Amino acid sequence: MGTQDSDKWIIEAEGVGRCFGHHEALSRIDLQIGRGEIFGILGPDGAGKTTLMQLLAAILDPTAGRCRVLGFDTVRDAAQVTARIGYMSQGFTLYDRLSVDENLAFSARIRSVPDALFQQRRKALLQMAGLESACRREARVLSGGMRKKLSLCTNLIHEPSLLLLDELSLGVDPVSRRDLWRMLRTFRAQGTTIVLTTPYMDEASYCDRLAFLHQGQLLAVDSPDALKERARGQVYEVVTARQEEVQQLTGEYREIVSGQWLADRFRLQLASGKAPSEPLRHKLEALGAFGPAAPDLENTFVQLTAPPTDTGSTPEQTGFESVQVDGTDAITARGISVRFGNFSALKNLSFRVAAGEVIGWLGPNGAGKTTLIRVLCGLQRPSAGEVHIAGVALRSAPMAVRARIGYMSQHFSLYPDLSVIENLVFFAGLYGLSRHKRRDAVHWVKTVVGIEGIDGRQAGDLSGALRQRLALACAIMHRPAVLFLDEPTSGVDPLARRRFWQLIQLLARAGMAVLVSTHYLEEAYYCHRLGLMNNGRLIALGTLGELRSALETPLHTADMETLFMTYMARASADEGAIT
Amino acid sequence: MRLSSLLIKELIQFFRDRVILLLILWLYTVEVVICAYALGLDLRHLPLAVLDQDRNAASRLLVDSLTSSESFRLTGFPQDMQQAEQWLQSGRTRAVLVIPPDYAADLVRDEEPTLQLLLDGSDANTAATVRNYIMRGLIFYQAGLGLDVTPSVQPVIRIWYNPDLTYTRFMVLSMIALAALMVGVIHPAATIVREKEFGTIDQLQVTPVRISELFIAKTVPTLLMGTLSVFPSLLIVWWFDVPLRGSLLLFVLLTALFLLSAIGIGVLIAAACRTLQQALLLSFFGLFPMMFLSGTLAPIASMPSALQYLSLLSPLRYYMDVILGIFLKGNGIADLWLQALALAGIGLALYAIAAAVFHRQRT
Amino acid sequence: MNPHRISAVIGKESREILRDPITLGVAILMPLVMLFLFGYAISLDLRKAALGVLDEDRTPASRALIEHLTSNESFYLGRFLNSAREIETVLQRNQVDLVLVIPSGLQESLLRQEHPDVQILVDGTYSTTALLAAGYAENLVSSYAAAPPEGRLRLETRIWYNPSLASANYVVPGLYAVILLAFPPLLTALGVVREKETGTIQSIFASPLTSSEFIIGKLVPYSLIALLQMLMVVAVGYLWFGVPFRGSFAFLVAAGLIYVFCTVGIGLLVSTLTRTQLSAMLLALIVTLMPSFLFSGLLFPIFTMPALLQLYSGIFPGRYFVEISRGIVLKGIGIDIALTQVTVLAVYTLAVFFLASWRLRKKVA
Repeated sequence: MGTQDSDKWIIEAEGVGRCFGHHEALSRIDLQIGRGEIFGILGPDGAGKTTLMQLLAAILDPTAGRCRVLGFDTVRDAAQVTARIGYMSQGFTLYDRLSVDENLAFSARIRSVPDALFQQRRKALLQMAGLESACRREARVLSGGMRKKLSLCTNLIHEPSLLLLDELSLGVDPVSRRDLWRMLRTFRAQGTTIVLTTPYMDEASYCDRLAFLHQGQLLAVDSPDALKERARGQVYEVVTARQEEVQQLTGEYREIVSGQWLADRFRLQLASGKAPSEPLRHKLEALGAFGPAAPDLENTFVQLTAPPTDTGSTPEQTGFESVQVDGTDAITARGISVRFGNFSALKNLSFRVAAGEVIGWLGPNGAGKTTLIRVLCGLQRPSAGEVHIAGVALRSAPMAVRARIGYMSQHFSLYPDLSVIENLVFFAGLYGLSRHKRRDAVHWVKTVVGIEGIDGRQAGDLSGALRQRLALACAIMHRPAVLFLDEPTSGVDPLARRRFWQLIQLLARAGMAVLVSTHYLEEAYYCHRLGLMNNGRLIALGTLGELRSALETPLHTADMETLFMTYMARASADEGAIT
Repeated sequence: MRLSSLLIKELIQFFRDRVILLLILWLYTVEVVICAYALGLDLRHLPLAVLDQDRNAASRLLVDSLTSSESFRLTGFPQDMQQAEQWLQSGRTRAVLVIPPDYAADLVRDEEPTLQLLLDGSDANTAATVRNYIMRGLIFYQAGLGLDVTPSVQPVIRIWYNPDLTYTRFMVLSMIALAALMVGVIHPAATIVREKEFGTIDQLQVTPVRISELFIAKTVPTLLMGTLSVFPSLLIVWWFDVPLRGSLLLFVLLTALFLLSAIGIGVLIAAACRTLQQALLLSFFGLFPMMFLSGTLAPIASMPSALQYLSLLSPLRYYMDVILGIFLKGNGIADLWLQALALAGIGLALYAIAAAVFHRQRT
Repeated sequence: MNPHRISAVIGKESREILRDPITLGVAILMPLVMLFLFGYAISLDLRKAALGVLDEDRTPASRALIEHLTSNESFYLGRFLNSAREIETVLQRNQVDLVLVIPSGLQESLLRQEHPDVQILVDGTYSTTALLAAGYAENLVSSYAAAPPEGRLRLETRIWYNPSLASANYVVPGLYAVILLAFPPLLTALGVVREKETGTIQSIFASPLTSSEFIIGKLVPYSLIALLQMLMVVAVGYLWFGVPFRGSFAFLVAAGLIYVFCTVGIGLLVSTLTRTQLSAMLLALIVTLMPSFLFSGLLFPIFTMPALLQLYSGIFPGRYFVEISRGIVLKGIGIDIALTQVTVLAVYTLAVFFLASWRLRKKVA
């Protein structure tokens, strides 16, 4: 079937659609992807990204249109397609009980890779992924980053001409993400075509071309730079710290379609094509240095998906009461250590968090962020050290502490078989709220996080973004003094993420201390202070500015990624020096 | 307040889980009915072949007399010994009655003709039954001929509580007990482990909820459902003519106590397991010995003493006494207090161990 | 079909099983636990039933009768009763299993060559026990101090294959079939459904591996485990329980292999019909475990069931292999006699295999 077209196009989709029951997950997708491209598919949760990937991998049949991959029809010649591609699905697609080597060998053998060739590629791949030293370890003990790299290797062992990667760097720390991209570029140079989906805007800009997918529709396909250009002229920044006034402006002026707090400035996007109106310009200039800024992919996304819903009622108007913390620090941690057998997960951590402070916790997979949060919540007893939450000692009065904290895990732990309202009422009841107070609390929290009108839907059916908001609602309903968020935004699309951070800042302004762990370095801008962790140690703690200037050669204008990498490299070097 | 919240949530989840509801319904109804109809130790229609080497009126009379009852089904007349043997071997028949060539002549001469009965001993139970039936059949036949056959002391058997010794009554009641046990163990185990898998258990543990409250919330729905499903099964019981001689209230109360100990097993399994697969396999591992050591399938008295002691740990053993006692014998609490005490003791011990396991895991 | 790819799946699957202690533990221990429980607990011989005695005669003759009943393994003297009123109480409280009532005047009427009656009252609640106890007691009383019970017609019984009528000889070979129907399907079903739940099956779908290669790759290791279970159970049955082995071992293994493929195939079929481990387990419970005990002829002979349910029992492969294994072990039958059963099993296995391959289309929805 080697027509000339199929030589040029690795993937051709014509009017492809897919329904699940009455729900149309994808409709009329036309797409052509050429040889040697790195092609990114960007879109919010529930946009149909995974469905599209499964259609391309020929493991799902379209209900409309047709799709040719490598010149073969994905329905009639599915076996031909699957014989030639590599497909990495969203979850971890490794066998936990098999070692790194065995996972690779299995993958090679089911694809009939000759032994000699396998040995040669295995060596090259493991080296590239930095997994040589781990090749005998079972997959289940690997960190998230290593698992992703191994998954990628198992899909590269037969050197497929097309690689389909669903949510490549979901839950992967920035260091491992770098390794993954290095591998992808190497293979692209050898002629492999790569199609990937990603929630990271910065990652999307590494692609040759991008497709924006929204509610099952293809909104735009273009190069990242061309896409960014589409929002040019709509984005402005004002350097200010006067948050209340800015908040008031965004409520007042409908032309502001979205806004975002960065470390020291507010970045706003206006309705397409217009300069700010005179009164708005005046007010903004009064706040601080004001001027146009370079648009990024998020801006284009906002522009393409039309006005986001979060400009409506701002939570201030819904009777938010500030949380009372009686003068003491919200969190005091002294000398916390956790050991699992011989392994030290946390090594002598001490820090304080003030009321109303948002503190971000960054570090590679396995650095101990989750363990730290579990210790602070009382889910994990520390081997040594003391924790005081809102002035109460965790060890001596665990029940009193529990009433003052809120916790949201990275899995958005909800009861999938309960409806939204049932989940809310249940968690309200757990905090012993009376019937009357419970009704008020549920009503209040629904407006605060913006989940009105979906009371009857089952939590398991919600998209990631809504589940995230519901989980947050369940965690703050009793107005805790301290809120712990463990990777609260992983797997959630950029818009939902931005809206989520607005909420967090709002809660903090009302006096809630928020401790959050994340892999998204861009989120560091939302935090007052940052804690960097590596190997169970707290290697740095301070504001972004402090971190920048604390280095031997201060990086005053460095972006978060450079800063993070520098600190991690320094930490590893120190460790090396010690051992 | 917290407890009622937990309870409401558990109840909602319980009734939303169709698969589980279907399973419970299936176990309490279809399975009970099928087993009651199908399974019995009261053997009927035993396959019997006759090698009649005499072939006259006298021998035919004997055969007719033996096979006229429900006990035997005549599978045919093999031609010779070799064929008879082959029928036994292939399982075409379970027993062969051999009538000697001079049977009629011997009878007339007042001698004692010897009949031969060949039995397939591979099914020991059936073989023993066939022999008994044939012996009784012969006595009956000879009495008909007017011969004096009565033994010197005549046993008169009276079976109490279950006079026709139908297996059905026993089967119906024991299947209900089994259903209660399976549901009682598997359901709480599965729901608790599911919370572990979804991570919601962590979410609960950062709220002021206590382990005891969690246990109670997990126990009540299964307890309620298990106790309520007793009532539909009473219909089946009634359908199969099983009498209820004792007090219904006592039965319901003791059923609840039994469920409590079964749920205790489930909770303990859940405390020890991390994944659903482990919990399911372990429940399996626990359920079977309990079934065997309950007296449901075979008499406990016949077991080796080690197993008899082990059977003291099986709540099902006590519950079988309870359910059979109340239905068939009309036992009251005066007769069953020991069983009630044992059930309560086992239940409490299980909960205590489970709570300890939960606490230890948090360090 | 590509042997390399199949062997890759087999290798991967075997490693996974060998490294999962719980699954492996259940696979190895469970059949043995079952065998011992069954072998010991399901003895249908009556031993040590408690006999209550109400002796209203109190003569040497009545004492001899009591002695006759209790001088064997089956009964022991539970207690003497003083009045008929006590009977109800001791039976109700499970203090005895049956009561022998000897009326006054037994010795006199025996001397007068009459045929006096004695009463045996049996607690009928546990039918199994009651049936056995009633039968044993009846025989013992009948054989007391007198002529052969058959009267003038002499009955000579020859029990073939299992002359001692030992329960173990009859239960254990049947268990070979039951154990293989109870566990391999469950393990197999969980093994495949787990891949569905964790998502690894998507990588399999998006590879050149065909469904039948995948199915065979799963079939072989689980069948090997099942075969190992069978050999283990046969060995323990032979060495520990002293069950005779009359037929050809090779034939048993060959037939066992077909049967094992069949039961593992059922597990695979179950796994293609379900999405979650809980539902896979429940389905396995209903289609394999329950029928393997109740409808295989192991404890409850199939010929006594109503016709409709006899047909129902034919759906499950257990009953065929129960016949085969009892035949080989106790009767020494060969392929000539077991041809029907073996053919049925072979056809059954193929059908299950094709059904499973057909159900497992390489698509996620």
